This record gives sequence, structure tokens and C-alpha cells, in this order.
Amino acid sequence: MSDQTHMHEHDIAPGDEEQHSVGERIIGYVVGLGLALLLTATSFFIAGTDLVWQPSIPVALIVLAIAQMGVHLVFFLHITTGPDNTNNVLALAFGLLVVFLVVGGTVWIMSHLNQNMPPMDQFIQMHS
Amino acid sequence: MLGKLDWSAIPFDQPIPLIAGGVVLVGILAVLIWVVVKGHLPYLWHEWITSVDHKRIGVMYILLASVMLLRGGSDAIMMRIQQAIAYQSQGYLPPEHYNQIFSAHGTIMIFFVAMPFVIGLMNLVVPLQLGVRDVAFPTLNSVGFWLTATGALLVNLSLVIGEFARTGWLAFPPLSELSYSPGVGVDYYAWSLQISGVGTLVAGINLVTTVLKLRTKGMNYLRMPMFCWTTLASNLLIVAAFPILTATLAMLLLDRYLGFHFFTNEAGGNVMMFMNLIWAWGHPEVYILVLPAFGIFSEVVSTFSGKALFGYRSMVLATMAICVISFMVWLHHFFTMGAGPDVNAIFGIASMIIAIPTGVKIYNWLFTMYGGRIRFATPMLWAVGFMVTFIIGGLTGVLVAVPPADFMLHNSMFLVAHFHNVIIGGVLFGAFAGFEYWFPKAFGFRLDERWGKLAFWFTFTGFYITFVPLYIAGMLGMTRRLQHYNVAEWRPWMIVAAMGMAVLSIGVICQIMQLVVSIRNREALRDRTGDPWDGRSLEWATSSPPPVFNFAFHPDVRGEDAYWDMKVAAQQQSLEHDELEYRDIEMPRNSPTGFVCAFFATIMGFALIWHIWWMVILGGIGAFATFVVFAWRDHDEYVIPAAEVAAIDRVNLEERRNLVSMAGAI
Repeated sequence: MSDQTHMHEHDIAPGDEEQHSVGERIIGYVVGLGLALLLTATSFFIAGTDLVWQPSIPVALIVLAIAQMGVHLVFFLHITTGPDNTNNVLALAFGLLVVFLVVGGTVWIMSHLNQNMPPMDQFIQMHS
Repeated sequence: MLGKLDWSAIPFDQPIPLIAGGVVLVGILAVLIWVVVKGHLPYLWHEWITSVDHKRIGVMYILLASVMLLRGGSDAIMMRIQQAIAYQSQGYLPPEHYNQIFSAHGTIMIFFVAMPFVIGLMNLVVPLQLGVRDVAFPTLNSVGFWLTATGALLVNLSLVIGEFARTGWLAFPPLSELSYSPGVGVDYYAWSLQISGVGTLVAGINLVTTVLKLRTKGMNYLRMPMFCWTTLASNLLIVAAFPILTATLAMLLLDRYLGFHFFTNEAGGNVMMFMNLIWAWGHPEVYILVLPAFGIFSEVVSTFSGKALFGYRSMVLATMAICVISFMVWLHHFFTMGAGPDVNAIFGIASMIIAIPTGVKIYNWLFTMYGGRIRFATPMLWAVGFMVTFIIGGLTGVLVAVPPADFMLHNSMFLVAHFHNVIIGGVLFGAFAGFEYWFPKAFGFRLDERWGKLAFWFTFTGFYITFVPLYIAGMLGMTRRLQHYNVAEWRPWMIVAAMGMAVLSIGVICQIMQLVVSIRNREALRDRTGDPWDGRSLEWATSSPPPVFNFAFHPDVRGEDAYWDMKVAAQQQSLEHDELEYRDIEMPRNSPTGFVCAFFATIMGFALIWHIWWMVILGGIGAFATFVVFAWRDHDEYVIPAAEVAAIDRVNLEERRNLVSMAGAI
């Protein structure tokens, strides 16, 4: 079905965009690996250090984790903002939305359920 | 050696399942012997079982769904009879058997009737509508089908070897945990859904990729037929939601097999988490089923009104809105669990909001019909019957989306009536409309209209006689899944419902008669042009049945309703030019991978259910080895020479040219 491929040049699957030379691609992966290692090392460093204000550590770790995801998406999964990547970006956005809805909704629902229905001993304490 | 399996697994003391199983077994054996003796086995193997042709796989999906519809329907008949006679008596079904029947009925109807029916229709039609030669992953498609068949086989096996779940179709814990269901019933349920779930996920990925990546020249997103849009939305939901089901059932299985405590009462388990997760899959599932049906009705209404679909873009928008909002409403299945007013209010409002895009669709169909020249052929009857029925089901749905009302109606017969109202009136009517509409495309001859109309009218009236009494019984306080009852007011309604079931059954018999009569008269009903309904989309631009390569040339699409435009402009390039330059076409080779994989998956599933560990390993290795062998293949395509393409295509072109010139003469 070779004659079908030409009509979707604006619409390439991840891994298909092999126009770059090998050298360029290796540099891309090396940069990605470097950034990923840097972010990992920083996370471990922050978790154990007392150089920063202690309550800020969880927030810092979350920020670093999100940056890590970004590095993976850009350098390894090749999600870009280019017009050839609309499908992948939309798929990612849909996936994120569903994960957000299901995980967020679950946490919300379960916390309300736990509040309304504590274990019997706690329930007795509350009402005695 | 054989785990938990011994002779006590076969229910010699229960005549009903044993006789039913025996009859089915004799039937299967008779068909097998007939196939072998008549020498049809090579044909069946080469042309169907190993086929990776999307049309053949679609037909096999629909065949599976139809057979399972008869099985699930028998369960329904047994339940209606039981409730009609079990007033102040035990009826004829003992409780443990009755519980298995309603569990099997729900499981089969959703997973092995509705799902394969809509996936089959999508498989059959979507590549044709997109103007392409196959789906994105043809062999994977075959694997998906056969894994679904494995699940269906395991469910039916439970009829004679062991037992099925007695827990209802979603196997809520703690009832489904080992302490309350020590038998193999829940294991049958969970493993058949795990295996067929893989098949469904594979089908979903395949169809999403097909719609996104394989479209013919000029087929922009906003020129795709409505059915392709609903297919895209429905399969996106499959890809997003089915992993939740798999994970939830995996946790239940870990509880049962390895002593985990995800959903147990003790050791920190939380049964409410199961309800939450299973419905986070379960509600999108409803839309996975009904969105393709909406697509079918869009095609049918537009074709038989002789008009383009009214409000195409609003329809696309409504479809995608439903796709997203369907992930925001799942709590309405357990308003009564105690999440409190804040949570209930938000999910109640979301549930009402999702009715808006659905309403948009109803109005679009009505306006499509308005001013059209409507032909009431059988598919159109199903579509109109759907609109009336679905509106009633939708309204009762909005009613139970109001939390205070739901507290009164939760788990009552009213709820049972409501979801049958939307699933039968929506999904099943849609499946039947699609079946009648695309049957000529798949097999090259039309279905008998007289029997088709009889089938519609019996099913339609039978549906109301069966389910309106259930609404009323629900209002009178009857809860679902009762094996017997002592309330005199419910009795008459149960008897009416049982009579409705009889009418529904006549509808099913008419449908079977329609098939028999049509096959017998197939020469008279032959569709030579490939366009029996005066269709509008590209599946009608090729012959019936389409050649294995679907289109000799990729159609060039210039607008919505691609084939209609071609006909109007009479500028079908293939009609204009006498001498066309046919080219060789490469098609994927048939492969037994799907069948062999499913064979090993069946062994593995059966062994897991009965704790036969050596057989589990054997089945697992077999399935994996099959995949490795397929991955190492050298040739996956074969070439159809240009001369053969030309020979096949010219026959149909001749017919089409006659049609066009006749139309010109008029």
C-alpha cells in the first residue's frame, strides 16, 4: 500500500521521522540522557540535603519529576509542536485528561467515602 | 495433576445445564462432522479462520455475536419465566442456578454480543468508508477476534464444567472474594474477561490507528462519514477505559489466587474501591457500545432520507463531547454508596450534561428526515424505532441521574428497565440496522424485506411489552435479581413481561427466518451494482461483496458524502475512461497466528481457572512462541497482478456503467 503513504506526510507516527542523519539523532539522545541523569541526580541530592528550606522539598521533587517527564517526551518519544505531530500531541493530551479525571476523581470520591464511613471504632469514638 | 478439576465439576444432578450443554455439544459436533465430510475444512481454514481480511474478520465477529445473542437470550427467557411463576414459590430454578443465569446473561450480552457486534460492523465497514484496502494491523485484527472468541468459549464451557459466577455481571466484592465465592465461577468470569479484554484492546488500537493514519486521498477528518467519527470516538474510549477493567480484575484475581487484600473486608481491603474502578471503566463502556450505534443511525437516516446528514459538524462535536464527558459521570452508578451530597451533586450534574450532546444528535436525525424523501426499508424502521425508544430510555436515565430519585430507584427493576431500554433500544437496534444495511455489501445479496419488517415489528412491540412492566414493577418497589417474591402486586407485571419475552422471541425467529429465506432466494435478491440502497459513502463505490483489495484505485474524495458526489457529478473517473491503467496490488498474507494464539490462550485460561499450573505454563509458552514465529516471518504480503485486478474490477464497472446510463436515460 505504498501509494497511500504519500498523502499523509503531515501526519507521521513516532519513529517514522527518520530524515535526520544518524549523528544528529545520536546527539539528540545523548542530550536527552544527560538531562534525564541531571534531573535524577538533582532529585536525589535535594531529597537528602539541608541546603534548601525543608518544606519546599516535596514541591521541588514534583517539579523535577514533571521536568523529567518532559525530557522523556521530547527527546525519547519525539513529541514536538510541529504540524506533523498534531495526532501525537492530541493523543497525549487525551491520555493526560483521562488519567487526571480517573485518578483525581477516584481520590476525591474515596476521600469523601472514607470521611463518611470511618471504621467502626473511630465511628464510636466520634459519637461517644 | 489436574488441579481442582475432577468429575464433581460436571453437574450431573442439574438436568437443565447438562441437557442444554449436551444439545449444544451435539450441534457443534454435527456441524464439524458436516464440514469435514463435505470437504469444507480447507476452505474454512484458508478463507476464514486464517483470514486477515477486515471484511471476513468483521463477519466472523458478527457471527460470534449472533450465536451468543441466542445464548444470552435463552438466559433471559429462563429468568422471565422464573419470575413469572416464582410468586410465593421457588419457581423452577434453584437460587444458585438462577444467580448464575443472571450473571451469565449480563456478561454475555455486554461482552460477547454487544461488543463483538459493534466491533464487527466497524471492522467490516470503516476501511471501506475510508476508501482504503485494509486496517492498519491486519494480523493483530485476527488475533483480537480469536481472543474474543476464546473468552466466549470459556464462558460457555462453564455451563458443563464447573459453574459460572453467581455475583452479577460485575462480580462485586466481597461476594466475589474467595471467602464468599470459593468455587470456580468467578474465575471463569474473570479470566474470560481478561483474555477477551486483550482482544478488545487490540481491536481498539487497530481501529484508532486505521482512522487516524489510513485515509484515502482527500479524505480529511471533516469529510469522514459519521460512522468513522463514532468509530474513532468509541475506540479512543476502548483504549482509555479497558486497561482500567483489566487492572481491576487483575487485582480481584490477585486477591483470589495469591491472598492479596485489595477488595477484602479484612486486612485493609476496600470494597468501595472496586465499585469506583469498575464503573470508571463501566460508564465509558456504555458509550463504547452506543456511539457506533449512533454512527450507524446517522448513515441509515441520511441514506434513506436521500439527504446529507443535517448538522454534520455539530454531530462531530457532539460525538467528541460525549467521548470526553463519558469519563466524568461514573459515580452515578453508586450514588447510594455514601460519598455525600457534594460528590453526588457534581456527578449528577455531569450525568445530565451528557444528555445534551445526545439530544443534539436526536434533533440532527429528525432534521435530516425533515423534508427528505424517506424510504421505510428495514434499516430505516430500526432507526425510527430506535429514536422513539431511545428517547424514553434517555429520559428515565436523566431521571435516575438525579441523586434523590436514584436513592429511591437504585437496584430496582426500574433501573433494569432503564438500561435495557437504552442498550436494546440503542445498541441492539443499531446493530440490527447496521446488519440489515450492510448485509448486501458483505455478501452480495439483499435480505428479504418482508421477514425483516416482521422481525422489526415483533421485536419493537415485544420490547415494550417486556420492559414497560419492569418500569412499573420497579416503581412498586421490586428490586432486581429476585429468585422469588411474595408481593402480590408485582405478579401481574411479571406475567406480562414474560408474555412480552415471547413476542420478542418471535422477533428473533423472524430474523432467523429472514436469513434462511434470503439465502434461499439469493439469486433473486442479488445486488450486482454494489449500491443497493442508493448510498452516499464510499463503501457503496465498490462491488458487493468487495474484492479482497476493496478498491482497484484509491478513490479521490472531494467533499462529504464522497460517493454521492461522484454519482451526482457522474465523474467517477473509473466510469469515464475506458482503458484504465491497473497496477499490481500488495495485500497482507493470511496467517494462522490469531487462531493458534487463541488456541493456547484458551488452554491457559482453562488451566488458570482450574489451577492446573503445568498447563498454564504450556499455554503461555505456546502463545508466546506463536508471537515470536510471527515476528520472524519473511514474507507478509503477496501481490495480486494487475491483470487479475483488472479482470475483477471490470465486471463491476460494467454493472455500474449500466446503472448510470439507465439513470441518465430516465
